[in-house]
This record gives sequence, C-alpha cells and structure tokens, in this order.
Amino acid sequence: MAATDRPREAAQRGASGQKIKFADRWRGYKSHHRDTIRISLLKMMREPVQTLMTVAVIAIALALPTALYLTVENIQRLGSNFESSAQITVYVQNGAKPEAIKKLQDKLENLPAVDSVSYISAEQALLEFKALSGFGSALRYLEDNPLPAVFLVQPIVSEPIDLAQTNSLIASIADLPGVEDVQIDMQWLQRLHSLTEVGHKVVLALGATLGLGVLLVIGNTIRLAIQSRRDEIIVVKLVGGTNAYVRRPFLYNGVLLGLFGALAASIMLYLSVVWISSSIADLADLYQSQYRLAGLGFLRFLMLMCLGGLFGLAGAWMAVSKHLKDIEPK
Amino acid sequence: MICFDNLSKRYPGGFEALKNVSFEMAAGEMAFLTGHSGAGKSTLLKMLMLMERPTSGNLLINGKNLNRLPNSQIPIYRRQVGVVFQNHQLLLDRTVFDNVALPLQVSGYPANEIGRRVRAALDGVGLLDKEQQKPVALSGGEQQRVGIARAVVHKPRILLADEPTGNLDPELSSEIMALFRRFQNVGVTVLIATHDVNLIDRMQLRIMRLEGGTMIDDGADYGRY
Repeated sequence: MAATDRPREAAQRGASGQKIKFADRWRGYKSHHRDTIRISLLKMMREPVQTLMTVAVIAIALALPTALYLTVENIQRLGSNFESSAQITVYVQNGAKPEAIKKLQDKLENLPAVDSVSYISAEQALLEFKALSGFGSALRYLEDNPLPAVFLVQPIVSEPIDLAQTNSLIASIADLPGVEDVQIDMQWLQRLHSLTEVGHKVVLALGATLGLGVLLVIGNTIRLAIQSRRDEIIVVKLVGGTNAYVRRPFLYNGVLLGLFGALAASIMLYLSVVWISSSIADLADLYQSQYRLAGLGFLRFLMLMCLGGLFGLAGAWMAVSKHLKDIEPK
Repeated sequence: MICFDNLSKRYPGGFEALKNVSFEMAAGEMAFLTGHSGAGKSTLLKMLMLMERPTSGNLLINGKNLNRLPNSQIPIYRRQVGVVFQNHQLLLDRTVFDNVALPLQVSGYPANEIGRRVRAALDGVGLLDKEQQKPVALSGGEQQRVGIARAVVHKPRILLADEPTGNLDPELSSEIMALFRRFQNVGVTVLIATHDVNLIDRMQLRIMRLEGGTMIDDGADYGRY
C-alpha cells in the first residue's frame, strides 16, 4: 500500500504522516544509530557485573594467543639479531695464485646479496691460530701452513630471516672458481626458524580455538539479551520496525563487547610487557646486547581492536540470526 | 479501504478460525467487530496486521492484495496501521514519551519531528503532563490512552482496536470512543473489536458479527458513517 503515490483526498489527511524527506530520514537514521550505541552502553553499565565478566572472558581469550604471538615474534627478532652477525666463511683452494684470489674477491664483492667481504690470508690465519689456540709451538713442526686462505662474507640481512635467499647465496659462492668450501653456522638459526614456524602454527590454532570461544561467549550474551527484551522486540515489530531495526541494538552490543574485550586484552598485554621487559633488558645488558622486548605497538593494537569488534559483530550476528526469527508477534 | 474477499484461515491442527469471510470497509468508516470469544475477532485483526496470512482468499488494502506482499515489506505496511491492544503492550522500562515515540523512531523520523508529533498525540489523549512518567505509574485508563496515542502518533490510515475498553468504566469508555470518532473524522478507517454490549448499544455504528469463524452479519446495510 503506497500511500505516497496517490493523490491525497481531503478526507485522507491522516496519510500525510507517511511522507518523510530523504534528508530528514538520513538525519533520523544517524541519530538513531547514535541513540542505539548510547542505549547499548547504558544497558551494559546497568549490569556492570555481567558486563565485566563477559568482557574479562573475551579479554583473556584474546590476550592468550596474542601473548603467544608476541613471544614468537620476539624469539624471531632474537634470531635475526644473531643472524646479522652470521658470516659466511669461504675457503679458498689450496695453492691458489694471488691473481686468482684477487679475482675471487672482486666476484664476491660484486654478488648482489653481499654486504662486505674481508680477506684473511693463510699466513694471517696461521698467526691468528698461533696466538689464540696456544698450539703455537706444536705448529712449528709442520712443514707447510695447513690453513687455507679465507674470505669472510657478510651477507645483506633481510628481516625477517630469508633462509632461501641465504641458501642461494651460498650456492652461488660455491660455484665460483677457486672456492674449496663454503660454511655458514646457520644450523641453529634454521632450528630457531623451524621453531618459530611451529610457534606461529600454535598461535593460529590457539587463536582459532579461543576465537571460537569468543564467538560463543558473545553469542550467548546476546542470546540472553534478546530473551530479556522479547516483549520489546514484539512491540517494535508490531509498530513497523524492520528486522534491521530490531537487529541493530544487539549487533552494536556485540561489537561493543568485542571492543571492550580487545581493549582490556591490550591493557593486560601492555602491563605484562612492561613488567617483563625490565628483566629482559637487564639480561640483554649482561650479554652486551641491545635487544629489547617488543610490545604490541600501536598498529597491532588497532588490529586487535578491529579483530575484537569483528568477533563481536560475528558472535552477535550468529545469535541474532538464530533467535530473532523465533520472536514474531502472535 | 479494507476488503476481505472470501478469506479463510485454518491453523495447523485443523482449527478453522475464519471461514469464507467477506466484507468491505470504506476509507473513513468506523465499525464494531463483535462476537463471542473464539469467534475469530482476534484472528481477523491479526490478518489486518499481517501477523497471520490467510489460508485461502484475499485481503485487499487500498486495492492492493496483501497476499502478494513479501515478508520484507510487512514492516512498511504496518507503519500505515495503528493498533490499540487490549493489554496495551506498553514497554514498562520506557517513559510514556518513549513508548509513544516508538512508531516514529522505527520509521526514521528526526528527533525534533518526533518530539512535536508525540506531544501532539499525547495532548490529544489528555496526557501531555505525564510524558516523563513510566507506564506503571499510570491508571488503567491512562495506560490505555497511552496505547491509543502510540497507535495514532504516526497518523495511520487504518486504526484497529482490540477490546480497547475491556477493563475501563463506562465514562472512560465513552471518552475513548470519542477519541476514535475524532480520528474517523480526519479520514482514518477505524475497526473496533469488542464484546462490550453496552458500548455497542450506546454508539450508532456499523456492527459486524462473527460467529464460529463465519461473518453472520457484516452490517453493511446499516449505512456508512
């Protein structure tokens, strides 16, 4: 029944109420959204214990995987810190001529992934060995210098660790003429890398499980809210409230719960990082390391908030689509 | 305005609440719908509110067949109908003002417009001074009048009332009927379901009688007011 597209009869002035200008409708829509958020907040504050408990559960469920994620990230950073000191040792073939060695040095320096190259001749190596090992006198009995000349190659380190790149660099160095062998002490780095890989997967699994938990907690809270406002929903539907109108306060409620949960989780993580990081700093100083614990940071704080809001929306949506249909005026 | 065309409603389980009901009401007409409990009065009103769909037959409002109205359009349709419920259906945790404002809020009216219309509606039922009270603080008659204000605040073209004088004394009943008259006079089609014989006798109005789901007298020959 379109009241607006019929010429109005004098006796039907009553129908003029159907006409609303678009601009007015938009203003009404905006103020309705504002009111809905305000009323949602008021309703949450009216039941502080219930709200706080829900928010706390959400916060813990969000904080746990995030804390694990931060741990893995920090371990990874620890690894890359050490990798920057990881040199590639290139052993030169015995008896290589000085020209060949000079050529090899040029080639090494021109490799794209190489940062710097330093040369240790066989004689230098022997002197160093004598000085450091304490076997100096024993070496006198050797006729020839058993030590090869060595290039120490410092690769350009990318963050995060790119093992494939390092491996291809090693392969291309090994192919150069005059190279006897290439060594890099990267096994422990590889292990660390695999370990952080495992860590990332655990974070994902834990995050997915606890994310599901968050969905269910929010869904259940919204379900209870829907049930307690049953009468209101019926009346709203009777006076012409659309499903979207009925849904809206519950969706906002879910989003707000998610946001508050994420905020609480961020605060928990921030406090934990502050608490732990002073000890980490002391420990790092003992090792003469500049390493410091990395916290959540602003960007990841925003991401966590978005995630919380999305989880809230999704959980509320689940509850709303399941339970609102059942509530029809009878 | 309202046209029931051979409409039947059978509930799951076989109970036939309405049997081949046909009648018409013109725009600006006011009529009583009467009959014993279980005669089908409530079902007929539910049809008009689209709370129920007919099993067979058609319901035309303003020439449009409601059978063809998709469910998504039901809220839009309901905004053109005002309903006064027997148990008033007010939200007890909201003020009188907020209760009356509800039909305007769901239609997306801006706040200043809502304020103006709500006060006009409350003024119409003589409750302007109670707008900030909660419904529980009001008497039965006042609650019923709040319900009426809510039913007419959005200026519907059809006003349905289910036992609007159910638990009111005769004096209050007359007041409420006088209110309905005023809406009729501005072109609203008013249908009042009641079994209040005294009330029916006092008012010279078209009377439709339902019995066991059948319209035994649609009162059309009474003449239209």
